[in-house]
Amino acid sequence: MPNAEHAIVVDKLCKRYGTLLAVDDISFTVEQGEVFAFLGPNGAGKSVTVEVIETVRTATSGKVTVLGLDVRKRKAEIVRRIGVLPQNFSSFDRITVRESLRYYARVFGCKADIDALMDLTNLSGKANAQFNTLSGGLKQRLGIAAALVNDPEVVFLDEPTTGLDPHARRQVWDVLKGLKDRGKTVFLTTHYMEEAELLADTVAIISNGKIVAIDSPARLTEKHAEHARLTLESVEAAALGLVQKMGFASTQCDDGNIRVRIRCADDVRAILEEIQRAGLTVRGVDVRKPNLEEVFLKVTGAPRDDSAGDSSA
Amino acid sequence: MTPRIIAANLGVRLRSFYRERSAMFFTFAFPVILVLVFGTIFTKPEHLNFDLPVQDLSRTESSAKLLEALTADHTFRIAQVPTDIDATQYAKEHKQNLVLVIPKNFDAPPGQRLGQRGVGNAVSLTYVYDPSSTSVTTKIQVLDMMVAAMNQKITGMPPHFILVPASILPERYRFIEFFVPGIIAMAIMTSCLSNALNMNAELRQKGILRKLATTPITRADWLVASILYQLILSVISTAAILLVSYAVFDVRLHIGVWLPLIVVVEVIAFVGIGMLLTPFAKEAESASAVANAFLFPMMFLSGTFFPVEMMPAFLQAFAKLLPLYYVNEALRAAMIFVDDPATMHSAGVTALFAAVVFAAGTFKTRWDEET
Repeated sequence: MPNAEHAIVVDKLCKRYGTLLAVDDISFTVEQGEVFAFLGPNGAGKSVTVEVIETVRTATSGKVTVLGLDVRKRKAEIVRRIGVLPQNFSSFDRITVRESLRYYARVFGCKADIDALMDLTNLSGKANAQFNTLSGGLKQRLGIAAALVNDPEVVFLDEPTTGLDPHARRQVWDVLKGLKDRGKTVFLTTHYMEEAELLADTVAIISNGKIVAIDSPARLTEKHAEHARLTLESVEAAALGLVQKMGFASTQCDDGNIRVRIRCADDVRAILEEIQRAGLTVRGVDVRKPNLEEVFLKVTGAPRDDSAGDSSA
Repeated sequence: MTPRIIAANLGVRLRSFYRERSAMFFTFAFPVILVLVFGTIFTKPEHLNFDLPVQDLSRTESSAKLLEALTADHTFRIAQVPTDIDATQYAKEHKQNLVLVIPKNFDAPPGQRLGQRGVGNAVSLTYVYDPSSTSVTTKIQVLDMMVAAMNQKITGMPPHFILVPASILPERYRFIEFFVPGIIAMAIMTSCLSNALNMNAELRQKGILRKLATTPITRADWLVASILYQLILSVISTAAILLVSYAVFDVRLHIGVWLPLIVVVEVIAFVGIGMLLTPFAKEAESASAVANAFLFPMMFLSGTFFPVEMMPAFLQAFAKLLPLYYVNEALRAAMIFVDDPATMHSAGVTALFAAVVFAAGTFKTRWDEET
């Protein structure tokens, strides 16, 4: 009996394309029943890693097991026990929602309850609509339903909400929460930090082929983003010097707003009082708690429009 | 290989095809339209008849007899040209490619014909014709033959030679009988090659292959489903072509066991070529271009529309390198000449070719990492 304690174990994985080392000796584990969010800038090696785990690509070196099965040797068994929503999921244009799901069920050789799947993904009203008539959100939900036909133990969702409007995104999130409640292990690749923050138990961030951070969203924020950020909207330029004189790291953005790195709520009051005393006016104020986005930008070293944090470093 | 998975893929593809009307048109209706158009243009009617304007300057009993003889078997429909205008002018104005002029002295006894253009004592019947017209040659030949027959009759001598036709074929065959097997082969080739390329490009471009790669579908399942799918389309297309050919042109073709065998071999050959070409056709646009680059030379050089023997020697040699040439040869040997050894030879070459490209195609098609 293979050791299936961990849903996924990635051990010293490398993937090389010619001289390019796309994935550079990474290791991590995904526990059963958790939502694991895999984040990374474009070209960081995210998709390649996912595809190796999904058995679509072969690793240059290292070992990957899914449900205790080696991806190199047990592909046939693994694909039956995982469900995959690829990036930009697409299906046969002229085939209806119900037919598509029935097709995937037949391919997997399982007796899927198509109606229940359509209920779960909110597709029942579109059962007889052909794929090419579906909106982006509906297509993604069909993709998720198709990833579930074989009642998989591990579900891979590659950017499930990219390109969706906020409403459709929320609907997909509801489906994902449903999966979590049903105890599925979910491997989520996403660009959206709020998505990871909202859904994930564990977040791993990959950059330049290496894992640069891995932990729960709360602990990552705690560890990497200790500062909150105050944005002063439509304020006179003189305010910048004022705030800096008070000892706060701050910058003026292209839009004229001033961003200030703060430590606690009292800082906000002190800054606003100082501005008022100087006879300056502020149109609006925005305070952001430290979040995963900051962590992401910090650990991946990606360029950002907000350099308030860096200037004080 | 799993029959259940093959059936699922076959079902999805047939359903997609059925719902894609333009694909239906190009696969089934287009070859049938070609048969109808080319059949109508090139199939000569049993009885030829032509319009023939005649300017009768003689207007005698003899000239009336001549005209009667020309119209006797309805070969020519005579239209009288007024005698007071120039025949050449008339031909130009009325866009006639042939006008026959009966001279004034047509009826005169031989002694009075001196000074007329012509051989010896013969009366000259002038025909005014347009050499740029492609159909006038046949008309002139027919007229010539009728005049020769009349001359021979007037002399009262029995003919010295007669020509007796003896065809190398068991029955009398027309262009349409030559054409139909060619169209069957062409329709199958077009459908297999362009469907294989377009389907693959579409699946790849849209990312469907990426999804399929994470399912239990194997390369063998996919390929067998593709072949069965093309086979079904090919059988329907062949049946449609044959039905129309029988109904409209009353073709005389031999339909036996060879036909389905050749169809199967051709499908495997061209699905195999399609597989080999997929690396060059990653997008839908390039797929059509790649397909056409193969289809057109094959269509015109392999004897689909006209016999290969009509081409210059180097093109004939080139044709013998093309798989469609052997399919055409095999189908014609089986359906027209009913020549088993010849059929077996051409079908065998096609089968060998099919085996090679299919093996190469299977080897080359990568399922997992190709997306």
